[in-house]
Amino acid sequence: MHKHLNLLFLATENLLRHRTKTVVVCLCIIAILTPFITAIAISEGIRSQSLNSVNAGADLYLTSDEFGRNAAISLKYLDEIKKIFGVTKIVPRIVGRGFLQNKLTVIVGIHKEDIPEPVTCISGRVFENTNEVIVGHELAKYFHLNIGDQFSMRCQQRKVFTVVGIFSADSGIWGASMIFMPFNDAGDLFGKENVATDIQIYSLPGHNSEIATDLYDIFQNEAYRLQDKQMIELYVKKGFMLKEGVFSALYIVAIALGVPAILVTSGFGLSERKKEVGIMKATGWQTLEVLELISFEQLLISLLGATIAIVLAILWVRGFRGAFIAQFFIAEITMLPNFALPARFLPLPCFISFFFAFLLTMVGSIYSSWRASTVSPVVSLQS
Amino acid sequence: MIRTENLCKSYGHHSQYEVRAIHDINVNIAKNCFVVFRGPSGSGKTTLLNIIGTLDRPTAGKVFLYDKEITSFSDIAFARLRREKIGFIFQNFHLIPRLTSWENVAYPLIPLGISLKERFERAQFFLEKMGLGDRLSHTPEELSGGQQQRVAIARAMINDPEIIIADEPTSNIDEETSAHILQYFEELKIRGVTILVATHSAIFEKIADTVYKMKNGRIE
Repeated sequence: MHKHLNLLFLATENLLRHRTKTVVVCLCIIAILTPFITAIAISEGIRSQSLNSVNAGADLYLTSDEFGRNAAISLKYLDEIKKIFGVTKIVPRIVGRGFLQNKLTVIVGIHKEDIPEPVTCISGRVFENTNEVIVGHELAKYFHLNIGDQFSMRCQQRKVFTVVGIFSADSGIWGASMIFMPFNDAGDLFGKENVATDIQIYSLPGHNSEIATDLYDIFQNEAYRLQDKQMIELYVKKGFMLKEGVFSALYIVAIALGVPAILVTSGFGLSERKKEVGIMKATGWQTLEVLELISFEQLLISLLGATIAIVLAILWVRGFRGAFIAQFFIAEITMLPNFALPARFLPLPCFISFFFAFLLTMVGSIYSSWRASTVSPVVSLQS
Repeated sequence: MIRTENLCKSYGHHSQYEVRAIHDINVNIAKNCFVVFRGPSGSGKTTLLNIIGTLDRPTAGKVFLYDKEITSFSDIAFARLRREKIGFIFQNFHLIPRLTSWENVAYPLIPLGISLKERFERAQFFLEKMGLGDRLSHTPEELSGGQQQRVAIARAMINDPEIIIADEPTSNIDEETSAHILQYFEELKIRGVTILVATHSAIFEKIADTVYKMKNGRIE
């Protein structure tokens, strides 16, 4: 045990003595790992938030089917759907997008009593009359909107709205640029009557198949789509895997440029190291002891580099809102998002990052050190 | 104690540029002997000492230590032998530049699991013995050639070896330090250490028990 501790301390001293090399290798590790950890954290955060939203949402989502895609659904069957056994609540919604000045916002038309629970007004109140809206706090902040302010929007129709409340939602990224308004106002804005973009159906546990059968009877020859929570969850997961895949593909290019830098810097002072290994061997060090010392050095430098990379990634997400990276995962946001990003720093990606750094630095040094310690000491000493 | 049988070492073996560093070397060295291998540069002294000291392997022939044939030992066994029984002093010192004197001296003790305090104390003891008690924290570049060689001698002694192998220990240093080293070798001999020295100068011959004269890789 004392031997291993001695080697660990010596490895620490070696890193301190070769400060320039240590700093350069660390910087390379940080440059490679920080964007990776940031991206994974953002992706995990958004995925988790999305799945939470899906879990807290309805059990079934009903839309029309046009050309194999979701389409607006008529409200004429609303009463019949309500009567299906096992249905506890139905929520027709209009979810659309429109520009508020130059900013794309998500418009949700919903009946007042159907506003989701996580959406709570931090100031003002929920809309009660026509042309009243509540806006997400990030959006309100962006446009300096206060209670009582009016603004106009134009989609298919131009309408003037009055801000009566500002809300904060658990799902930061969704709530950030969202406007809730009465269902009929949204219909007017988009120029559609008696349709919803979807109908959320809440059901008693275990009744989904029976409800699906009844819906089949109701809609008969009309094309409709019924998706349950699991399907939505699957879409979310698939969507993020795709986005992570795109990011990873781009990132591989960056790594391809960074890895040689680490390999080169890890090999700095190779001839000095080779001679040192020769001296070690001549004075009785075993090959395994030499390799253990070098492994400790790489372990420490990787740990240091990865730790700094994680800290910087946290700063990147918290301080700079995942600038440049967040847009890979959230559509239609600027390089510097103006809302707090949901990010999750899970132990596994952090551990993988550390392992990756260790692997890289080991590749850069272990082979040459192993060669130096397995040839005869005379050869190493001649370096 | 040390015996060699038809020891040969050649470089570029089996090629048209084969160089025979030593051939058919047979020596017999008793315990506590001071043996000098004397000869001009390129006569094979260093190669012979490297092979006896297990730093290198012969192309042919055998080395016996306490009548045990060691040439076929594994690298691990060689390292153990160097750690427990042999101390080396090199012509160009081979000190680690970024380490201080005492750290260089104590370097062989690190893998033995010896504590920092004890390592320092042992290094200090040997450095004081070499007259370098006031140079403990100096790096090699802050020391003269003679001082560096004395640090190297202290390092060779740190494990209390039975055999000291010194390759041209006085070639890069002044006469005063050479005399100091000579005196120290005499002390070691009195303490029962077997000393093998490769040199092209005659200064060690007055205290040597045996002098082997070497030329063109052979003992004359």
